[in-house]
Amino acid sequence: MAKARSRAAARKIKDKWKAKKWYNVLAPPSFENATIAETLADDPSKLMNRVTEVSMQDLTNDFRKSHVKLYFKIHGVEDTNAHTHYIGHAFTSDYLRRMVRRRRSKIDGVFDVTTRDGAVIRVKPIATTEKRIQNSQKKLIRAVMRKIILEQGSNQTLSDFVKYILDGRISADIYKACKQLYPLKRIEVYKTQVLSLPTIQEEPVKKKEKTEEETESKTEEETTAEETEETEEKSEEEISEEVEEKKNVEEQPEKTEEAEKEAEENQEESEGEVSKRE
Amino acid sequence: MAREGIAHVFASFNNIIITITDMTGAETIARCSGGMVTKSAKDEGSPYTAMKVAQVVAEAALEKGITKINVKVRGQGGNKTGTPGKGAQAAIRALVRAGLKIGKIEDVTPIPHDGCRKKGGRRGRRV
Repeated sequence: MAKARSRAAARKIKDKWKAKKWYNVLAPPSFENATIAETLADDPSKLMNRVTEVSMQDLTNDFRKSHVKLYFKIHGVEDTNAHTHYIGHAFTSDYLRRMVRRRRSKIDGVFDVTTRDGAVIRVKPIATTEKRIQNSQKKLIRAVMRKIILEQGSNQTLSDFVKYILDGRISADIYKACKQLYPLKRIEVYKTQVLSLPTIQEEPVKKKEKTEEETESKTEEETTAEETEETEEKSEEEISEEVEEKKNVEEQPEKTEEAEKEAEENQEESEGEVSKRE
Repeated sequence: MAREGIAHVFASFNNIIITITDMTGAETIARCSGGMVTKSAKDEGSPYTAMKVAQVVAEAALEKGITKINVKVRGQGGNKTGTPGKGAQAAIRALVRAGLKIGKIEDVTPIPHDGCRKKGGRRGRRV
């Protein structure tokens, strides 16, 4: 009896496996609908809410981004394609461990941002310095982080903001703004979490929130905010109007110098990483 | 068509469990543990057992069409030791030798952001 039963069970299991079909998991349009994974199920409804993890290296073919993991959640199925949306990213733990060292300071923060299209996203930046710094300096740097993240986040849609973070443009901006306070060794956003998805009709509510946030940040550190505003404006201009800025011939050399410096630093960093890996 | 999967390798000091799933981690494709390939309990965590476990799992996965895997290694974690056991390395090597392509290897040991008190009491374990 027992044997017969076990044999029947075995047959059932095999049938179950055969009943399952493979589905392609597609990235959202902001990631160019690339196929990121394959998953299987006997019923398409079981695919809902599954989460896949993809390293950014696989999506962009950029080996320097292999420490970034992106998370996508399935929300709909069409034929054999499952559609997803972005729900967050994280760094691998070994990369984070490498960033944090003894006798150096680590500055991190957690900020909830409401984007222009009503999504709430939690952004967690982390910065490291060459030497230990005072707590007051840390606070100033954190305030600058907060200001830039809230400002940029509330002015952009979720997908734009996510790209802005993943490209590393946000770290460049924060780096520039913090230069006067204390030269940071590295600044990166090590984690984001989408807390609620975009709802486009919430425009008026958000504007109120935005103003509140701005006033808060200003009262917290009036002096630093004023100092950093100048540099921020520069950085924004650089990104948006690089080509058009031929009028200000005097300012140009400065900016190019800055950019070169940055590029060099980035190169050094990446080279360092590679050598470590080797 | 090369299908990908994830090999979850849980290697404690006393046992090893390998589960191969699809990329979402929701569907199990193959699973095996130390006790399934060895008789004596003391051998469950040994590298040799780990190798055998990996072979069993790899064979089952290849049969079902999985050719490439990402490995997620895990130790005991929590308030216990954070390093994976002796079997982890042997298991990964055996997975490679069995013909699976390895994409990424990552340590996913759960690390507390300060959680529960460690077992053993104030004066430690008294043998």
